[in-house]
Amino acid sequence: MEELLAASLRLGAPLLLAALGELIVERAGVVNIGIEGMMLVGAFAAFAAAVATGSPGIGVGAALAAGAAVGLLFAAFAVGRRADQIVVGMAVNLLALGATGLAARALYAGSIPEAPRWGELAIPGLAELPWLGPVLFVQTPFVYVGLVGAAGVGWFLTRTRPGLRLRAVGEAARAADAEGVSVARVRVAALAFGGALAGLAGASLSVSQTGTFTEGMTAGRGFIALAIVIFGRWRPVGAAAAALFFGATTALQFRLQARGYAVPYPVFLMLPYVVTLAVLALATGGGRAPADLGRPYAREER
Amino acid sequence: MLAFLLLTAVACGAQQESGSAPASQDAFRVALLTPGSIADGGWNASAWDGLERIQSSLGAEISHVETRTPAEFEDGFRDYASRGFDLVFGHGFEYQEAAARVAAEFPETVFVTTSGSTVRPNVAPMVFELEQATYLCGLLAARMSQTGKLGLIGGIDLPSIRSTFTAMAAGARQGRRDIKLREVFLGNFDDVAAAREAALALLEEGADFLLHQANDAGRGVFQAVSERAAAGDTVYAFGTNRNQNEMAPDVVLASAVLDVPGAFEQVARRVQEGRFEAKIMRLGMADGIVAFVVNPELQDRIPPEIAEEVARAEAEIRSGERTVPRGDF
Repeated sequence: MEELLAASLRLGAPLLLAALGELIVERAGVVNIGIEGMMLVGAFAAFAAAVATGSPGIGVGAALAAGAAVGLLFAAFAVGRRADQIVVGMAVNLLALGATGLAARALYAGSIPEAPRWGELAIPGLAELPWLGPVLFVQTPFVYVGLVGAAGVGWFLTRTRPGLRLRAVGEAARAADAEGVSVARVRVAALAFGGALAGLAGASLSVSQTGTFTEGMTAGRGFIALAIVIFGRWRPVGAAAAALFFGATTALQFRLQARGYAVPYPVFLMLPYVVTLAVLALATGGGRAPADLGRPYAREER
Repeated sequence: MLAFLLLTAVACGAQQESGSAPASQDAFRVALLTPGSIADGGWNASAWDGLERIQSSLGAEISHVETRTPAEFEDGFRDYASRGFDLVFGHGFEYQEAAARVAAEFPETVFVTTSGSTVRPNVAPMVFELEQATYLCGLLAARMSQTGKLGLIGGIDLPSIRSTFTAMAAGARQGRRDIKLREVFLGNFDDVAAAREAALALLEEGADFLLHQANDAGRGVFQAVSERAAAGDTVYAFGTNRNQNEMAPDVVLASAVLDVPGAFEQVARRVQEGRFEAKIMRLGMADGIVAFVVNPELQDRIPPEIAEEVARAEAEIRSGERTVPRGDF
């Protein structure tokens, strides 16, 4: 049971990190379906930097920077040129898959080295707590950053002036502009932040959960994160609950498969998706999409 | 007509780009159709390596094209056959039907599919007997297991993967009647983190030997087993397809190795020397295509009587005395 819960947090963390980034982006009125690609770039940047320097910490730094850079690239088209956000997102995903695959082949020519990893970090004092200790306080730094980050994003959105401006840009870009808020600047900053967190989520796969890189290793997690933002009703607490719930059902389905029940394995693979969907469909509580979500903003248009 | 000429010109250009010798009438000419990119580091890359080996060791003129749909399979076969190629490989069982259709029109060309069961006067599949090696993995694991449970991790439940698992299970039951086997599938071949999690789940369940059929994602399996071994558990993994003993030398006890390039070369040699026979070409341990390679660094962990028993089983498989069960595909 402890192992199952610990695995839930471990598997939920990359989803939570990416979802928090996307939540900020969407609250600013931009839909970024390129998270999958940003995660993949982060995973590769972290891996390559960690292999080159021998330090997973530098790898994580590289992932944050690379993710933010892809976020800014997205912004250059989606905000700067007001291109269709869905199209830009698709382009980012395709570009990331090709570019990281090509770079991996060029750098390592078929024999991928092993990268140093950030393992579990036991928090002194708390880790010794019975039952809760090993579940909550013997985790990788990515889990702690995700949980603290969810609280931090909630505080930022509801209790700070920049948070208020960001929400205003997402809800009513024209009104925010009239109040003197630069819509473009807020959205670009949100995309850089969202990209950095997606990069961090990718790093958790390549330099923490494993010490390796494979083409397409994010395996759809970016799209799950996108869904988690919606399931979580654009609120950090909801996103955290959805991410951890998805992590838990994923951890559970592997363990159910390992038990050897006579059930076809695709049923188990489906489980996290079906159960998350069911629970969140039944979960009540408001929250809705930002009113200006997905609409490029141009001052001169009426 | 113009379009056709252009196509031919493009095809010839592509052929020269892929490094073939200038065309000549009496050269041995071999072509390859793959269902995906030859830079995939796996299935298709190994076929390309095989084609290059045919060029270097048999002096053949070679050509390759990537074909993704059944219509393209047929076009590919027909194109090469009409240009007088002696041998065309279709790298996968999905090429059987197209090969059989085109072969009827071009009796001078030999068509070989990688796995499959379709045989015509000039069509035959080559079938790799990797099962012989996974059988030995099962036998060794069952004999050494302290928990009586073995774990299998697969990408997707394909017939070829199922077949290696079937053979592993047969070997395991040979070694220990009450052995339990547990399987986890990932749903893909890329997700290393999922492979690690699947391996951890199997280890938690009590499996102490794991075999993977998950290509790239298999590295996650080695990682999980290494972690548990470092924490003091007696757990091992097996490598598959390639010799993966060095990928995690502390826990990979042995690898079930398949020499795909070697198989391509053997088959091409048969065709070149006029020894082609229209029947399923089974290539296994006796042909030097499949091998069971024990990790030299861990060899002393295998009790001598068990090592002897495995060696005896291997000898019987080589001589044909013992047949290994395999899936029918």
